[in-house]
Amino acid sequence: MLNLTPQEKRVILFLLIIAFCGITLNNLSKLDCRIKKLYSPQLRLSRIDLNKVTLNELMMTRCLPEATSRKIIAWRQEHGNFKSLEDLRQVKGIGEKRYEKLKGIFFVE
Amino acid sequence: MKRPFVILAMSYSLGIILVNYMRVGFWLIFGLGVITAILACLNFRNNRIFVILAFLLASMLGALNLKNSYMRHKCDIGNFVSYHDNAVYNLGGFVDSQPVIKNKNTIFVFQVQEAQVNNLKWPCCGKIFVRLGFSQVINYAERFILTGTLRPPFGFSPASRSYRRYLYTEGIYLLMDIESSLQVIPQSGKGGSKMVIFSLWLRDKLEQLLRRYLSDLPAGILSAMLLGQRNSVPWLVYDNMIKSGTVHILVVSGFNVGIVAFIVNLILKIMRIRRKARIILTVICLLIYCLITGASNPVIRATVMGIVFLLAYLFKRETDIYNCLACAALFILTANPRQLFDVGFQLSFASVLAIACLYPKLKSFLRPDNYKFRLMRFICECFLVSLCAWIGTAGIIAHNFRIVSPVTVLANILIVPLATLITLCGFSLVICGYLCPFLGRFLSITTAMFINLFLNINAAVIKIPGAYFYF
Repeated sequence: MLNLTPQEKRVILFLLIIAFCGITLNNLSKLDCRIKKLYSPQLRLSRIDLNKVTLNELMMTRCLPEATSRKIIAWRQEHGNFKSLEDLRQVKGIGEKRYEKLKGIFFVE
Repeated sequence: MKRPFVILAMSYSLGIILVNYMRVGFWLIFGLGVITAILACLNFRNNRIFVILAFLLASMLGALNLKNSYMRHKCDIGNFVSYHDNAVYNLGGFVDSQPVIKNKNTIFVFQVQEAQVNNLKWPCCGKIFVRLGFSQVINYAERFILTGTLRPPFGFSPASRSYRRYLYTEGIYLLMDIESSLQVIPQSGKGGSKMVIFSLWLRDKLEQLLRRYLSDLPAGILSAMLLGQRNSVPWLVYDNMIKSGTVHILVVSGFNVGIVAFIVNLILKIMRIRRKARIILTVICLLIYCLITGASNPVIRATVMGIVFLLAYLFKRETDIYNCLACAALFILTANPRQLFDVGFQLSFASVLAIACLYPKLKSFLRPDNYKFRLMRFICECFLVSLCAWIGTAGIIAHNFRIVSPVTVLANILIVPLATLITLCGFSLVICGYLCPFLGRFLSITTAMFINLFLNINAAVIKIPGAYFYF
């Protein structure tokens, strides 16, 4: 038989357990799509919802000057919710460069 | 003397600190150094006086090294550019860092070897920071002739925390903004180190592998945790981690270096390679890993400590964590004494020092070994380590980032074990991804699940009232 040290045994056990978890999750997600949420991080965890963000939260991001933050909120109040991130370009003070930067911070559901 | 390196590192650092706040010339310190060295030689047999003089000499060495680092080379490009210089320069040289593409800008450090203004051409040296206003695939070591104006960096924030200061610490005194691809002319041949080229090639391969198995967000986080590439970590995730005081898990540190050493050692052991060769190969792998992850201060610290531990094991010597830590500090500060004022350096050493000093004392006070359940023991130990690291770094964080996060200890109790699991899964994924791709697919699902759990916990803890506050 194989002569395994305790370290090697631990490594093998660890690999087998995580592979076992992976196979089980993969199988369950085929039966029920909601299981996929367990291993697919939601967008709200990595970006801010542009339609729900408050002025205070916008200013806390420190990516925009206060005046532009106010303009975003004013645009939302005037035109309703943002339909897509592209709508941000219609806000005065957001040019190509700033839009590129904000694209990685916000999302529109 | 039980810990000579500790005293040596302290004297050396003291010299750097003193000379940073005092206006003393290089040659004055040099003269004092020569006198001290002569006195040390004369008192060679008087142990007590010799030791005092030797440490005094070490502090002067630190002071001299700092003064020397401020002096630019005679041919440095910074010496030829005045503050309001509108001249167009043609600079020949090679890319000295892995370029980063961010917000449609390409950013990299350029090692200048030749400069030209109008018809005047001369060889020169020094580094400049280049920002291309467009995306262009550029690799480390590629040769170019760049055309544009040069300017010193602006310093908007207070002097101690400004970007200008950060660039000066890295030895960069000039910036070049390029808006057109016509200003970037490729040249034949390659500059730079072959070892770095190999490490970057390996890093690219590993990143590609992570992206093959995982979606953007988990791949970005895992890339930061394993390879030190934080560019793909979304702003919100990074900000949430700063607020919860868990951003350290995105920094490649001693834990990662330990895992790499363990994996390499284990593989070599399975291959029945002898102990001596195994240790030497592990040291080489640690050096390559250090280069892959960008050789930042925490990685260098961990790598030096790891190598010292391995060499002690090879020569059958006893190891002391304080001596190892001092060795790492001396190594970094000898290469660049200005790193002493870098926040990354301070945080890295303060956290390890706090854990080394406080953890045994707190452990003997709370006695987690008395707990019957293993899980309770583990949680208690995690709590103690987090508490020690927080005590050690809270002051530096509050001073530099103006944030206090009382939730840090709680967040770390929950997140550190999870981060450990993610790191282990990540390394397993990298190895299995190459050796056994079908197994890699299943490992990636478990890894993504842990990352998802980690993100949710992190988002939840910062919503606790009073979790953090800026001042």
